[in-house]
Amino acid sequence: MLFVVAVPLIFSFYTSMTSYRLTRPETIQDFIWFRNYIRLFENPDFWRAFLRTIVFLAIALNVELLLGLGIALLINKITWGQRTLRTIMMFPMMFSPILVGFQFKFIFNDNIGILNNALQSLGLTTQAIPWLVDAKLAMFSIIFAEVWMSTSVFAILLLAGLFAMPRDPIEAARVDGCNSWQVFRHITLPFLMPFVFIAMTIRSLDVARAYDIVAIMTGGGPAGRTELLWTMIARVGYDNARMGQANAMAYLSTILSIAFTYYFYTKLVAARRYMGGAE
Amino acid sequence: MKSVLRGLLAGAALPALMVGSALAQDYGNFEGYTLRVKLIGGAQYEPLYATISEWEGATGATVQILSRKNHFELDREIKQDIAAGTLNWCVGSNHTSFAPQYGNIYADLNDLIAPETLAGFTPLLLDHSTVDGRLVQLPRHSDVSNLFYIKSLYEDSENKTAFAAEYGYDLAPPETWDQVRDHAMFFANPPDFFGTQFVGKDEAITGRFFERLVSNGGAMFDDDWNPTFNSAEGVAALQWFVDLYNAGAVPVGVPNYLWDDTGLGFASGTVALNLDWGGWSAFFNDAENSSVAGNVGVLRAPKGDAGVRTGWSGSHSFSITTTCDNPEAAASFVTFLTDHDRQMIEARMGILPTRTAVWDDALAEFAAAGDDFMVEVFSTFRTSMAEDAFTPPLIAEWIEVSNALWPRLQAAMVGDMTAQEALDAAAREAREIMEDAGYL
Repeated sequence: MLFVVAVPLIFSFYTSMTSYRLTRPETIQDFIWFRNYIRLFENPDFWRAFLRTIVFLAIALNVELLLGLGIALLINKITWGQRTLRTIMMFPMMFSPILVGFQFKFIFNDNIGILNNALQSLGLTTQAIPWLVDAKLAMFSIIFAEVWMSTSVFAILLLAGLFAMPRDPIEAARVDGCNSWQVFRHITLPFLMPFVFIAMTIRSLDVARAYDIVAIMTGGGPAGRTELLWTMIARVGYDNARMGQANAMAYLSTILSIAFTYYFYTKLVAARRYMGGAE
Repeated sequence: MKSVLRGLLAGAALPALMVGSALAQDYGNFEGYTLRVKLIGGAQYEPLYATISEWEGATGATVQILSRKNHFELDREIKQDIAAGTLNWCVGSNHTSFAPQYGNIYADLNDLIAPETLAGFTPLLLDHSTVDGRLVQLPRHSDVSNLFYIKSLYEDSENKTAFAAEYGYDLAPPETWDQVRDHAMFFANPPDFFGTQFVGKDEAITGRFFERLVSNGGAMFDDDWNPTFNSAEGVAALQWFVDLYNAGAVPVGVPNYLWDDTGLGFASGTVALNLDWGGWSAFFNDAENSSVAGNVGVLRAPKGDAGVRTGWSGSHSFSITTTCDNPEAAASFVTFLTDHDRQMIEARMGILPTRTAVWDDALAEFAAAGDDFMVEVFSTFRTSMAEDAFTPPLIAEWIEVSNALWPRLQAAMVGDMTAQEALDAAAREAREIMEDAGYL
C-alpha cells in the first residue's frame, strides 16, 4: 500500500509545489510552495472546467443509471435469447474510448457526418446542426458518446443484482394485490439500491476514461466550451510539459473524486441498512 | 542432395544480394545490432517503413520499433522518457515545431552525417531543422499549404457574370486572401455547399492564424519576445476567419475541424476552395475517393494585406538521441530513410520531398506518365517551398503559446469575444509564458 498508493501521492503532491517541467527534469527541485495553487485559484478557466466536470459527471452517471436499469429490467424479463442479448449489450464496452471518440466525431460532423445528412435527407432540418460547436449540443454529444459506451456497465451490475434477488417477497406482494409499479417501487428498487451505489462508485472513479472521447471529439473546445478537468490537466501536463502545475490541478480535482465517492459510499451504507444488511 | 541444398541456399541468398545491389550506397555493416526506434505512425507514413527490411538486409542490423504513434502521442511519450530518464532508444520521429522543446536530447547531425549527404537536402530545410546552432533532425518531408479549388466553378459563365455584377471585378482563381473571402461568400450555399473551410483547433488553427498574421505584415513576437500578435495586423487576420464563419461561408463545425475533416470535406465536393498541404493531392484527384477528381486546380497560397503569401511550414524529420549506444548505425538508418529512393516513394503520393534532386525526378516521372495534375501540384508546391515557406518561432515555448492562443481564436469565431478581446487575452497569457521562460 505504501509504495502503490502513498509514495505516488506524496511525490505528486511535492511536484505540485515545484515548477517541474517534463522536458527539464532538474526543475523538480525548484520548490515554489503554493504558487501553482494560487495561480489556479485566480484562473477562471480552471474553475469553469471544474464546474463543467461536475455537471458532466452528474448528467452522464444518472442517464447511464436510468438507461442501464431499464435495460437490466427488460433483459431480466426475457426467457429466450437472454445470453445472446447480454453479450450484445457488452459490445460498446469492448471499444476503446479512442475509437468511440472517432466514431462519434464523424457521426456528429456537421458537413459530412451521418446524423446531419440523415436529418437533412429526411427533411427534418434545412440547416447544418453544429453538434460539436454549440455549447449545449457539444456537451450533449460527448455525454451521448460516453453514455453509449458505458451504460452497459450499469446494466450488467444491476442485472447481477436482479439475478441475486429472492423471488419470495415479489410473489408475496403480488398475492397481496400489488401492481407491477408497486412491486418495483417498494421491493425491487430498494433491493437494487446497494448495487446502484456500487455501480455509481465504480463509474465515478472510472469515468475519467471519457478523456479520450472528449479529447478526440472536441479537444475541450471550441473556446473551452467542453473543457473538462481531464483535458485541461493533460494539455498542461503533457503538451505544455508543466507537470507541476498539472499535478496541482489534479490534486484539486481529487477533491471532486473524494466527494463523489464519499457521497455514494454513505448512500450505499444507508441502502444496506434499509435492507437490513451489515454496515 | 547437396546440389539441392546449394540451390536452396543460392535461392535464399539471391533476394539479399538483390536488395544489397538495389541500394544506391553502402549503409555499413552492423551485424547483430538491434536499433531501437520510435516512429510516427499513420497510413501515409507506413509505405516508407515497409522498406526498412532493405536496410536490415544490407547492414545485418535489426530494427525494433518501440512506438508507432501519431505525433502528439509520440510527443507525450518522449516527454515522459525525458522525465523518467529512459531515453534508451536511438532514433525518433521529430518535427520542426516540436524539436525546440526537447532540449539537448538529440545529437547534432553535423557530427554524424557526411557533409556530402547533407548537401543533397534543400538548404532552407536544414536551417529550419537547426536549433541553437545544432542540426537536431534530418528532414523527411515538408509541409506547406497551397490553395486547391474546384475548377469548374471558375469556368462557369453564369458564375462569372453573377460574381462580376455583385463584386465589381472578374471571377478568376484568387490571388489575395481578400479575394478568397469574396469568392467563398459568393459560392457558399449552406448547408449543401461552402465557399471554403479551415482547420479550427489545436496548433492547426494557431498555424493558420500565424501565417495570415505574417501575410498581413505582423509578427507573433517583437525582437525582445514581447507578444505582438494582438496588433492591427493580427486583428485583421483573425477577423477574416470570423467574417467567413459568421457569413456561413464555411461549415459551421470548423472550430472543431482538423486535417482529416478539411481533406475529406474537399474531396466530398462540398467546398469550393481549400488551403491544404500537398499530401492530399493524389487523394483529391483519385476518382475512387474524391468527388472532385479531374476537376481540381491548385494555386500558390494567396497574399495578405502586406503582399506576402501565406506559407506556414514545417518538416517531419528523424532525430538521433545523444544516449544512443550506436550512433553510426542510427545515422546510417536515418540516411537510408531519407535517401533519394525512399523520398521518391513518398513523393509519388504527393508528399513534399526534402532532397533537391527528388523534386526534379518526381516532376520528370509525373510528366513522363502524363499526369498533368501532379506536375501542376509539384511545380506549385516547389515554388511555394522555395519562396513562401516560413516556420513558427523555433522556441521551446511555441506549443505552450499555441495552447494559450487557439482557444481564444475559437472564442472570437463563435462570438464569445471580439477579435481584439480574444487576441489581447491570449497575448496576456503568452506574456506570462514568456516571463516564466525567462525571455521577459
